[in-house]
Amino acid sequence: MKAFHDRRTTRRKFLKESLFGVAFLSASKLIPTEVLLAGELSQVPKDLVFFSPREYLIFEAVAERIIGLPSPGQPSVKEVGVSSRADQFLAGADPEVQDQLHQLFTVFNAAFFTFLFDFRFCSFLNMSATDKDSYIRDWMTSKFGFRRTGFQALKRVSLSMFYTDSRSWKEIGFEGMFMPEDRK
Amino acid sequence: MIVRSSEINGPVHESADVCIIGSGCGGGASAKVLAEAGKKVIVLEEGGYYTSKDFDATEQTAYQHLYQQRAGQATDDLAVTVLQGRCVGGSSTVNWTTSLRTPDFVLEAWKRDHGIQGFSPKELDPYFEKVEQYLNIHTEPFENHNPNNRLILDGAKKLGFRASAVGRNTKDCVKAGACGLGCPFDAKKTVAITYIPDAVKRGATVFANFRATKVEVTRTTKRVSGVVFDHQTQKPKTDFIIEAPIVIVSASAINSPVLLLKSNLANNSGELGKNLTFHLTSAVLGVFDQIMYGAGGIPQSAMSDEFLNKNHDGGGFWLEAVPIYPTLAALALPEFGSMHRELLHQYPHIGATIILVKEIDSNGRVTVNDHGRASISYTLRDKDLGYLKQGVGVAARVQFAAGAKRVITLHARLTEFNSPEEIGNKLAVSNWGMNEIGLYSAHPLGTCRMGSDPKRSVVDEHCQTHDVNGLFVIDGSVTPTSLGVNPQVTILAIAEKSAEWIAGNFADIKAR
Repeated sequence: MKAFHDRRTTRRKFLKESLFGVAFLSASKLIPTEVLLAGELSQVPKDLVFFSPREYLIFEAVAERIIGLPSPGQPSVKEVGVSSRADQFLAGADPEVQDQLHQLFTVFNAAFFTFLFDFRFCSFLNMSATDKDSYIRDWMTSKFGFRRTGFQALKRVSLSMFYTDSRSWKEIGFEGMFMPEDRK
Repeated sequence: MIVRSSEINGPVHESADVCIIGSGCGGGASAKVLAEAGKKVIVLEEGGYYTSKDFDATEQTAYQHLYQQRAGQATDDLAVTVLQGRCVGGSSTVNWTTSLRTPDFVLEAWKRDHGIQGFSPKELDPYFEKVEQYLNIHTEPFENHNPNNRLILDGAKKLGFRASAVGRNTKDCVKAGACGLGCPFDAKKTVAITYIPDAVKRGATVFANFRATKVEVTRTTKRVSGVVFDHQTQKPKTDFIIEAPIVIVSASAINSPVLLLKSNLANNSGELGKNLTFHLTSAVLGVFDQIMYGAGGIPQSAMSDEFLNKNHDGGGFWLEAVPIYPTLAALALPEFGSMHRELLHQYPHIGATIILVKEIDSNGRVTVNDHGRASISYTLRDKDLGYLKQGVGVAARVQFAAGAKRVITLHARLTEFNSPEEIGNKLAVSNWGMNEIGLYSAHPLGTCRMGSDPKRSVVDEHCQTHDVNGLFVIDGSVTPTSLGVNPQVTILAIAEKSAEWIAGNFADIKAR
């Protein structure tokens, strides 16, 4: 068991480690992702303010796995509009955080990196649901600090966009807070 | 008067006797004392001005409008979430009301290790009393504790640990549970409804949505400049300049050093931004047969201080309850996907106990990133990590003693105990590295620390910077050590004391 400080990763270090991988991004572009996703890309909202269309699809796929499937009759990630809400939310984030997130989506999805990290030659978007869960778990438990940080970033944005929406409350038994009579 | 940015139509250029940057405990209390002493006071607040009519007791509204970085502020590696208020009233608007004096052993260490005079328990006593009276600080009778707080009192008692009710700054509290979301009933005596209106009554002006970006020192005055933000869009609207002979920076332990570093001021010691302590916090979540409904009732009214300074090394930990709002619970729970969702299905039955570590060997640093914003790093070292581990174990035992059927830690990977006997072995094999355990801070302190030695500290015992006459820092950043208790009463008492000194020595400070 290592102490916290032995595995400390600053944002600068995260950037540096990720940039090591970004140098290989040209290789990942050889994979025909755009062709594979052409149908889905057409369904992406046109008025995005933070995500690129591809990032939007990656985030939505991640959010669906992180939040999990709803109980019968309860709203899904799509129904709550988690990805559109995240798009608006992240547009107001610290510029440095925004840069990091754009980089994260590239590294997280590209087949080159899924192979480099986990010996899977398949982009995240093209994985089966089981493989997606397994891949996300690899990020959560990775020995590389920047991957655990990346997982935390995705988990936090996904869950906060879902559970701040009142439509998600019924499933967990939250009835809202007590308010003054005249404002209920 | 309180001026919202919607009322501003062009560049602002004003002058005052004192310009205060930040309207939380440090800035708000200073504003009141100085305005009552007849000084012309201008307060600049980066966040908005809201009243109880604006509070709808939802996380969405609260995080969006009342918290720094919409409650997403964290260390650069995301290992520690740092919760702070960002509105008129600062963190007092969103804290959970716990109001405690600085422990005597902490004040003694300030004198012994940092040469600070005038801060003995006896010397601070009148300031604590003043704050306690003004904010109606009191403890709750047993019947007012919600199940989540009672479990601390019950569990600790069964194990023979000391536990008691904590002081709270409320009046006519209806036990709605919304303290962390902005009190819709005005029952919480926040700075925004106490010190600030009293300062305004005596002529102070508060500008909301005014972000100070630079402090400049000239031979005759000081100039604070910055940007006015549109209240709705958060986009820059216009600029402002405030000139005053005395400037008080009260922007918190995160943003005060950022402003001073950007202004190239008060850092001859090289200590500015260093010595950050978090009162590092993690939690255990107990699953009970009965409904706990941790979002309702008084969120924080009891504690166990059995393990604070128990080894007489100045360290240790403390147990408190925490309100269990849905998003807060979702973010804290381990795992993801179906396992995470199943855990959340237990939501009404979850009781949460937090462990707050008073650091003795860990610290962090605030620097300025390429975009001029705070960059926060933190290193958890062995002694405090030891207390954190011990605290998680003790909190789990308290939960079992109070009736929990199983207890879950905040490790990323599910770590749960089905009996007290499992705690030791499971914690011994758990991972405690960065982002392997959920960590939080609502009490960042220490980045402009006080001390008698200008080579080792940023401000003196009056909170005046060693380097610049008339430039003060009055907020949580001046505490030279972690406190071990929730800091609002300490910050308010320091502000009352320092502002009183400024008022009494105004002419001298101005003339120098």
